[in-house]
Amino acid sequence: MTLAPGARGVELGGSSDIGRKVDLDISRAWLVDPGSGREGPADLVVRDGVLEAATWLDGADAEGIDDRGVVVAPAFIDLHAHFREPGNAAAETIATGLAAAAHGGFGTVCLMPNTTPSMDTPWLLAGLREKVAASGSPVRALAYGAATAGRASETLAPIGALADAGVVGFSDDGSPIRSATLLRNALAYAGMFGLPVVDHPEDATLTEGAEANEGLISTVLGLKGWPGAAEAIAVERDLAILAEVVREVPGARLHLTHLSVAASLDLVRRAKAAGLPVSCDVTPHHLALADEWLAGSRRFAWEALDAEGRGRDPWRDGAITAPPYDSSLRVNPPLRSAVDARACLIALVDGTADAIATDHAPHSLVDKDVEFGLAASGISGIETALGLVLEAVDAGQLALARAISALTTGPARVLGTRAPAGSGALVEGEPAHLVVFDRADRWTVIADALASKGKNSPLLGRDLPGRVLLTLVGGRLAYAP
Amino acid sequence: MTTSAADSTAVKTTAPTPVAGEPGPVGVMAHRWTHRHLLDVDVLSWADIELLLGTADAMAEVVAKRRSAEPVLRGTNVTILMYEASTRTRVSFEVAAKRLGATVVNVSSAGSSVTKGESLLDTMRTLESTGAEILVMRHATSGAPYLVAREFGGNVINAGDGWHAHPTQALLDLYTMRRHLVAPADRGSGLPFLRGRKVAIVGDLLHSRVARSNLWTLTAAGAEVWVAGPTPLLRGYDAWGRSGVGGAADRRFTVTSDLAAAIGDADVVMTLRIQKERMASGLLPSLGEYASRFGITSERLRLAKPGALVMHPGPMNEGVEIAAEVANGPQSVITEQVANGVPIRMALLSLIAGTRSAA
Repeated sequence: MTLAPGARGVELGGSSDIGRKVDLDISRAWLVDPGSGREGPADLVVRDGVLEAATWLDGADAEGIDDRGVVVAPAFIDLHAHFREPGNAAAETIATGLAAAAHGGFGTVCLMPNTTPSMDTPWLLAGLREKVAASGSPVRALAYGAATAGRASETLAPIGALADAGVVGFSDDGSPIRSATLLRNALAYAGMFGLPVVDHPEDATLTEGAEANEGLISTVLGLKGWPGAAEAIAVERDLAILAEVVREVPGARLHLTHLSVAASLDLVRRAKAAGLPVSCDVTPHHLALADEWLAGSRRFAWEALDAEGRGRDPWRDGAITAPPYDSSLRVNPPLRSAVDARACLIALVDGTADAIATDHAPHSLVDKDVEFGLAASGISGIETALGLVLEAVDAGQLALARAISALTTGPARVLGTRAPAGSGALVEGEPAHLVVFDRADRWTVIADALASKGKNSPLLGRDLPGRVLLTLVGGRLAYAP
Repeated sequence: MTTSAADSTAVKTTAPTPVAGEPGPVGVMAHRWTHRHLLDVDVLSWADIELLLGTADAMAEVVAKRRSAEPVLRGTNVTILMYEASTRTRVSFEVAAKRLGATVVNVSSAGSSVTKGESLLDTMRTLESTGAEILVMRHATSGAPYLVAREFGGNVINAGDGWHAHPTQALLDLYTMRRHLVAPADRGSGLPFLRGRKVAIVGDLLHSRVARSNLWTLTAAGAEVWVAGPTPLLRGYDAWGRSGVGGAADRRFTVTSDLAAAIGDADVVMTLRIQKERMASGLLPSLGEYASRFGITSERLRLAKPGALVMHPGPMNEGVEIAAEVANGPQSVITEQVANGVPIRMALLSLIAGTRSAA
């Protein structure tokens, strides 16, 4: 099977059955290897799933190959995804979630524990592993355990037993760990195992009933404001607690997920400079979209800034092109201002943000096709993540190599010793973990094009760059068109 | 930006800035109404507004002379769907629709399957299948009419959605101001008729759909608008006022907690309802404190221009946002606002009926 005919070829031997070990020849592609920090023209050979050779090309061999066409990189790692089993298989199953991940170029996903029931006991993890095995997908599903029992922020979850069962960290995501005392204890306890506590930073006393980022857009649309301070306060609290805990528990680690406002990222920047063991991620939607989408704007966040970096008025610019109140844009944390989106990009560029995580949050139509303020929060985003990030790259907001490292080596470092062997890296002689995509090949996001059951994407109908041609995990085929 | 007639109402476009030199009376009457729905006033051009107000004049005359209006809605099912309590808006729409010959169906959330958890779209489909052709809806959630308009085969009129918009209220408010501030000979000139006029909106801006819609129409009409209230109830407005409504520099408005500055020399003082729930959510210390600092008393009203109009969208808390002697005083046009709701809604329904026959 030839996936990209022409001078730059991707030749996949045999059938395209998911899960089989592949023979693959990729010639004259642009290879990005975040492990070595090198990128350039290369040929790759995979035999029976093993990466036999990755050969950098130079001189005449490299002529005519640039980073605008077929790109090969290590398969991506998503630190933050919601597959809805158990509890809401109508929104997503493990199998459809894994298929969606592979379609998005992800070879490893870390699943949040806000299922029903919450992932707060080892036996639930066993059920998850059975479903992963039954799916036939080679995509690696890792799991976070709940930080508190039932994610209720009342008592600690069985952190030690969950650690023994193989979780990669602890989180009450969907909700913050409301009790500062419990956060402190969770950080200290998880620190015994060197595992991170992954907090969704939100001061709920500021966000009760909140619908949209507080600002011009929420004011004009009459939506209840969601102040940026709600996030920054929680980040500051978490960092203050971490600073004390880490003095006694050197293994304590904090990961802050889906940071969305400039103030939070500044706090993390300073905490890292002070040497605290903190990491964080930003989502594709928070760096590429802004709150003005709720009013019907459809331009990217970086297009909504003036020359001085201030936000522009979408009404003044005539940028309103779609109906307002599209409930697929309801997400927690909410889409922020264009200035905040810019701060997310800057944080990626300067390394304050360690990773791009999708916060893939599929929902069924019943929960989403309702009034904006009543709609479930979340964007089905694991299949559009690469496209949105490449839009930022195309617009000159982010270097391709940095985008790739934030999807591979960055999240692998957050996972530390629990990152699956070989993930995020290209190692000759080892099973291949690869994604191949064509930056020049745009695809249209339509419901039927998404493998996820969650069709709740604000990008439906839009073209995105970077069609994924192939995802290989452990030498096995995870996705092919 | 502009959009095609067919979908213009589904898109929250920039309301065009009033353009000097738009057609005069003849041109205004020749202007064609193209809005299938009315979800927000932001889609209305100044020519649309003048057409609507001119049509309302004709409707008011019919009403005043006890003549019967042309039954442009004969055989048309107008369904009024209320997810929130409403007296004046519901009655006014019902009277307006009936005067135009419509069959009116009233649905309120208390007496329907809505209370059993039926979704808004399912309710809409039920009403559509039982004959609803024009759907007038009020809902507690901002933006709800856009969801309905996306799927409904007929016409949707927003009778108030959450904190967002109350289009017919803003239009009847503008109509009321026009009747008092613009001589009959000057009406329908095509020029924004509140140029040089100052309008103060006082009270709970944060939760007010009436204020939001009035900001669009009043600035389209060229008024100098001031909004005033205690700072927690003005949240977010400063950025909007500085940018201007629709992003238009000539539609900026002033936001202040200095009541005297806001109502000083005003031609119109519009007060908004203060709800008791605001105390429970910690936005205000007490109703008494609000009344003592922001209540419109006859003493404070003297700061405004002599004879300034006093308006209130209702229902009022007399003694809180407005003193009884002001509400019932000679400058009050509050009952006239209610009365004007009928010709305005007749005008809107007849213009929308025109888009039905055209289709």
